[in-house]
Amino acid sequence: MSHWMFNCKEVSRRVSESMDHRLPLYQRMLIRMHLLMCKYCTRFRRQLLLMREFSRSPQMAEDFLDPTVVLLPDARERIRQALKSSSA
Amino acid sequence: MTQITEEISSADPNLDPETWVDQYGDYLYRFALARIKDQAVAEDLVQETFLAALQGRKSFNGQSAVKTWLSAILKHKIVDYLRKKNREKAIDDIDTVTQTVEKFFHNNGSWKIPPSEWDDNPSKIYEQHEFMDTFFKCLSELPGRLSKVFMLREMEGLSNKEICNALQVSSTNSWVMLYRARAYLRRCLETFWFNNTKGSRKNNFTFLHLSFSPSLADTSLAKSSK
Repeated sequence: MSHWMFNCKEVSRRVSESMDHRLPLYQRMLIRMHLLMCKYCTRFRRQLLLMREFSRSPQMAEDFLDPTVVLLPDARERIRQALKSSSA
Repeated sequence: MTQITEEISSADPNLDPETWVDQYGDYLYRFALARIKDQAVAEDLVQETFLAALQGRKSFNGQSAVKTWLSAILKHKIVDYLRKKNREKAIDDIDTVTQTVEKFFHNNGSWKIPPSEWDDNPSKIYEQHEFMDTFFKCLSELPGRLSKVFMLREMEGLSNKEICNALQVSSTNSWVMLYRARAYLRRCLETFWFNNTKGSRKNNFTFLHLSFSPSLADTSLAKSSK
């Protein structure tokens, strides 16, 4: 691979970085060129984006929870007392 | 009601700690129990979450719902708990993660352990309860600062500036930390979820921390290069 092109390691790092801030134009172009040729880096990028998607999914917090599960009265009272004594 | 709680509740009725247990206790307990599977521990984590929220309530900016804020605190508590539970075997320093991520590549920067195709339907992955268990366990495999930076950015959606302030790191450092966390977590999920047959996934949970190490990466390398 030519020296002016990013290798997979550099692309993987910059793909991650691009999820946190806007990269300079020339870097975006080099990444795009690399991704056109490299199925592994394309896969890496897609999987990082997927990880973000399910990390932020409301389903992560809500869907599996059994609504019949509740704090037992003893535990509820213990927590309430702990909060009360901490805020006093 | 104490003076402190009066001040808080007068500003925002949802921020009255005395109502938290009734309003959010069951929800947080369900979430903790779903991840931890231990009633007593789940109760303790809920209590710790409320106490941490009480201490940190001044920093709550009100941009998110109180429930979301408390859930975020609980998720950190769960990952901390899982990490402590596996402390003897878990990776406990960032250098080890760095070395592991380095091993994904050859010296010339090409993939040594290329990402494999994830064959689950992406839109359905997080509808599977066991997947979320694997996800949290993989998160707990990361050193504390790396799991924290990942959770702040990817789960809570904080900006880079907010993360730099929270962790007292430079932007460059936060990007490097996020890269290592994402690369490691991606590989962990691949190893213990996507590359496993559904029947064996459950069993793998118990030795997750034992298996996902640089030596495992080497083993996978041998497989992938065949």
